Amino acid sequence: MSAREMPTWLAELQAQLGAVLREPLDRSSGTLRAATERYPDDAVREVVDASNADARARLAVYNRQYWFRLFGVLQTVFPLTARLLGHWDFNDHAAQFLRAEAPRTWSLDDVPRGFERFLERSLAAHPAREALLEAAHIDALWRAVFLAPDCAPLRPRAEDAARLPELRLALAPSVAVLVERWPLLELKGRLGELRGESALALPARLATPRWYALVREDAGIRRLPLEPREGELLTLLQQHTVGEALAQLEARVPPDERVSLPASTQRWLARSVTAGFWADADPPEGAARQRAERLTGRRS
Amino acid sequence: MPETPSESATALPRDALGLGLRPPYYPYLFEHWPEVGYFEILSENFLGPAAPPRERLARVSARYPVVLHGVGLNLLGHAPLDEAYLDALCRLADRVGASFVSDHLCWTRAQGVSHHDLLPVPYVPELIELAAERAHHVQRRLGRPFGLENLSSYVSLARSTMSEWEFYTAVIREAGCWSMLDLNNIYVSSQNHGFDPDEYLRAIDFARVLQVHLAGHTREPDGTLVDTHDHPVAEAVWALYARAWKLGGPFPTLLEWDERIPPMPVVLAELEKARAVRA
Repeated sequence: MSAREMPTWLAELQAQLGAVLREPLDRSSGTLRAATERYPDDAVREVVDASNADARARLAVYNRQYWFRLFGVLQTVFPLTARLLGHWDFNDHAAQFLRAEAPRTWSLDDVPRGFERFLERSLAAHPAREALLEAAHIDALWRAVFLAPDCAPLRPRAEDAARLPELRLALAPSVAVLVERWPLLELKGRLGELRGESALALPARLATPRWYALVREDAGIRRLPLEPREGELLTLLQQHTVGEALAQLEARVPPDERVSLPASTQRWLARSVTAGFWADADPPEGAARQRAERLTGRRS
Repeated sequence: MPETPSESATALPRDALGLGLRPPYYPYLFEHWPEVGYFEILSENFLGPAAPPRERLARVSARYPVVLHGVGLNLLGHAPLDEAYLDALCRLADRVGASFVSDHLCWTRAQGVSHHDLLPVPYVPELIELAAERAHHVQRRLGRPFGLENLSSYVSLARSTMSEWEFYTAVIREAGCWSMLDLNNIYVSSQNHGFDPDEYLRAIDFARVLQVHLAGHTREPDGTLVDTHDHPVAEAVWALYARAWKLGGPFPTLLEWDERIPPMPVVLAELEKARAVRA
């Protein structure tokens, strides 16, 4: 293709108009209002007044569209977090995030990248911070599982058994293991019935944490309850070799539990393999990196 | 500009009626497989590695013709075209056997920021050749007809020295590409900027129209029309469609509905109105 470039004046114009689009909406009136008075005069002069609306009012259409489209994306990806905060407060956090991390790619799927980590800071003073971050983590995991590429599951052969302790298993990208301290997964499943934008009451903290695997299937994402030690084991298996994970789990359990632990771990491992939790060797090229980026918000 | 693509642009029957494929349709679609001439997908929704969209698209493309419509090309951005994006677009078009691909005559990104909106440039001769060169490059990369869609817009830029339709038709002619003519956009822009939509239509070379888009819009309190795709097609747009059909039909016709999407049978009934309007 020819290396001919667009004229410089076009770059300047697009920079001016882009800044207008990204001008934060004003919240002081209790609604989100385009702050047209803050648009730079240079940008406004580039636009012709219409018979029914001046240049600032017309630019405001794009300004509002920019923000509401992105708020919509974040509300869609973080529906549980949005309802626990209420959309008004959620949009405030979203606006702060988008000012710090404006979208850089053509893909709307990339817009939420890093939002979960951002909330760790922006919710610092919130009284329900811990629960809200758990909600954001659940939303992020749910999204990552949904967006994951297909990956052949690990189907170990009999001869693999001997070297199993030295293997480090990779969780399939379409599976996630999580622990909740509030009954948030259940609430997430009911959001469809709880339409609205106001903040939902945070349910009472659970007496004991609950573990789940999120497993993508043809019909959608399934919540598979795990026994607490099973959840711990699956988490350890993602961080260590099988042998190390089993040893660490054994070290954690009280003596009276140790007797039954070998049988339990065998059962949990067998179930995880049968259910397709593990990827065959490494996930396909790029999948592991993309998964890590989605979960951490960092680009490698 | 050289090399007009093959006439596979007419791979769809010229009177075909199609629908913009959206996720809320899947349950009804996969149960009933209704009669639809073709589906148009939003390219960007299927370019990533996520398996569910790919699987659903495979089911759809096994039964219906599928064409691609993008919003991320940034044809008139100051930055060069994103060749990695084009690579992915080519792979997707090959995968579904798309008879054509389209995007918009607009810019979407500036200074590295993607605005996820379709933004106009000043309509000036200086940009015609540059836009045409890029559109031609895209069409050559795709190896299939590439259509450019006219925008709905809310601002007239002071630097413009020609009408939108003069600019739009000149780019298509120079590029040797095709027109993806959105009649709702013509109507919305005509009301926002005070021009005659029929004058726009008279400038169109209908032999180069890949397809026509129809959609609904919203009127703001100050009278500005916004291209929201959240309503049935307005009567004034149906009337414009009837005149376009008389002027240049037949052409494939596609209905877009993106927000507040009703049940699929309602959307299909809206699409069917096209037959009556053009009868």
